[in-house]
Amino acid sequence: MRSLAIGVALALGATFAVAAAETDLAFSDADVRRILAHGPWPPAPRNDPSNRVSGNEQAIALGKALFFDRRLSGTGRISCASCHQADRDFSDGLPRGMGIARSNRNTPSLANLSLRHWYGWDGANDNLWAQSLRPILDPREMGASLGSIAAMVRGRAELSRLYREAFGSAPSASDEGVAVDAAKALAAFQETIATGRTPFDDFRDALARGDTAGASRYPAAARRGLAIFIGKGRCDLCHSGPAFSNGEFHDTGISFFLEPGRVDPGRYEGIRHLKASRYNLLGPYNDDPTRASATGTRYVSLEHRNFGEFKVPSLRNVARTAPYMHNGSLKTLREVVRHYSEIDEERLHADGERILIPLRLSEKEIDDLIAFLESLTDGEQRRRPTLPASSPNQ
Amino acid sequence: MTFLSAALIGACALGWTDATSACGDELGDRARMIENGHYAVVFKTMPDPIAVGSHFSVDFAVCPQGDAEKPRTVRIDAQMPEHRHGMNYRPVVVASGPGAYRADGLMFHMPGRWDLLFDVVTSAGSERLTAPLSIE
Repeated sequence: MRSLAIGVALALGATFAVAAAETDLAFSDADVRRILAHGPWPPAPRNDPSNRVSGNEQAIALGKALFFDRRLSGTGRISCASCHQADRDFSDGLPRGMGIARSNRNTPSLANLSLRHWYGWDGANDNLWAQSLRPILDPREMGASLGSIAAMVRGRAELSRLYREAFGSAPSASDEGVAVDAAKALAAFQETIATGRTPFDDFRDALARGDTAGASRYPAAARRGLAIFIGKGRCDLCHSGPAFSNGEFHDTGISFFLEPGRVDPGRYEGIRHLKASRYNLLGPYNDDPTRASATGTRYVSLEHRNFGEFKVPSLRNVARTAPYMHNGSLKTLREVVRHYSEIDEERLHADGERILIPLRLSEKEIDDLIAFLESLTDGEQRRRPTLPASSPNQ
Repeated sequence: MTFLSAALIGACALGWTDATSACGDELGDRARMIENGHYAVVFKTMPDPIAVGSHFSVDFAVCPQGDAEKPRTVRIDAQMPEHRHGMNYRPVVVASGPGAYRADGLMFHMPGRWDLLFDVVTSAGSERLTAPLSIE
């Protein structure tokens, strides 16, 4: 490698050097632009135009109550928070989620959801309220029905009151309409879950200001890891933007076999589900009559290569959301970095695509890349939403 | 890699660009032109510049040069030559005036070099004009 200027004097065109304890690290103009593209953080809040109660305080309160309420499930024993646990960054720490039965996939964290345009490892939904409805109805996860969701909202005085305050009228006689509204309240609540500022953000903003002293406080190992991330590793091709994800789908060489003879088709099935769903942004429940946010759904293309592709996850707070990958098969960040370092190109189902190549990182480079990934962790875990006092529990 | 192709709309019914006007004049000063001796394509993206991971549209004009046949149809696509992949979306092209088109639904999901591809289809076959774009 060494396309990056590490341990050498500033190269021609290099404009920003940060003195480090062990070495000098210089970022070129192009490097700085790549680093700045990962911010600023936090982004400006934005409401979901497809959800008429996005940002509505009463809807957020209703959504929060539903999120932590076990009665939402068909068995009465599982809430959204059973898998999306607030003290685990809204994940569960398990390789694959456990609802009524074992899920096929790892439980993703729920932070920063309003930045996404596809939801779920396979992107089977194009909006957060449809994605919120999916596990509630899935017989392996919460096993409820449209009718049971609507009956719960209509029948519980506190939920019915919150519903009236959020939507301006009592729950209607339409089970599907009430259930979708409940999902929109759940979405409104989840939109409030955001990760905070991180050591990387402080470094990034110092770079933007030209504040050498501020930038020098970023640990040297994290700086070296960042150089690999945007340089030799080109991790930022997929983990791009302020959320460190392009929101799209790739085959990363992780097995999509669930067991011998049974596979997880990933994005391929996700697109098929999306196109058929009456809860997508082209359907009747999108509250935005312009359908302006439905562009991706209108034009997404189903291709053979989508088989075995899974969504690029955000890396914010990634150090707190182990295990990793769509099936939770990698236990630690070190295992993830080693996977990409030694990736088996023959295993990739990529139709000739040339993005992932073995990086052959040294142990020190692996340590540095992990230090960078850990610097994407905020310090605000204890401020996350917790169990409402009035809820029957998680 | 299978490159995504675009839907197409016949241009014949809408006539053709006035020979007395320069190709794509209506697209303004920021429009770019590419040509291959048979055809000129003048285009601009909306928004300009394009943002990684955001959908964009392309307004463009296709102008035959010399004795070149008028296109029957026009398609648009894009690929990253370095990575040997295309887009995840299949854009749709509609005629917006004589010799003028609009393509919606494009998205570049990675930063780097992309090639915007215009396929001009005539009775004799298809000709491809390529416009390289650098996206950060």
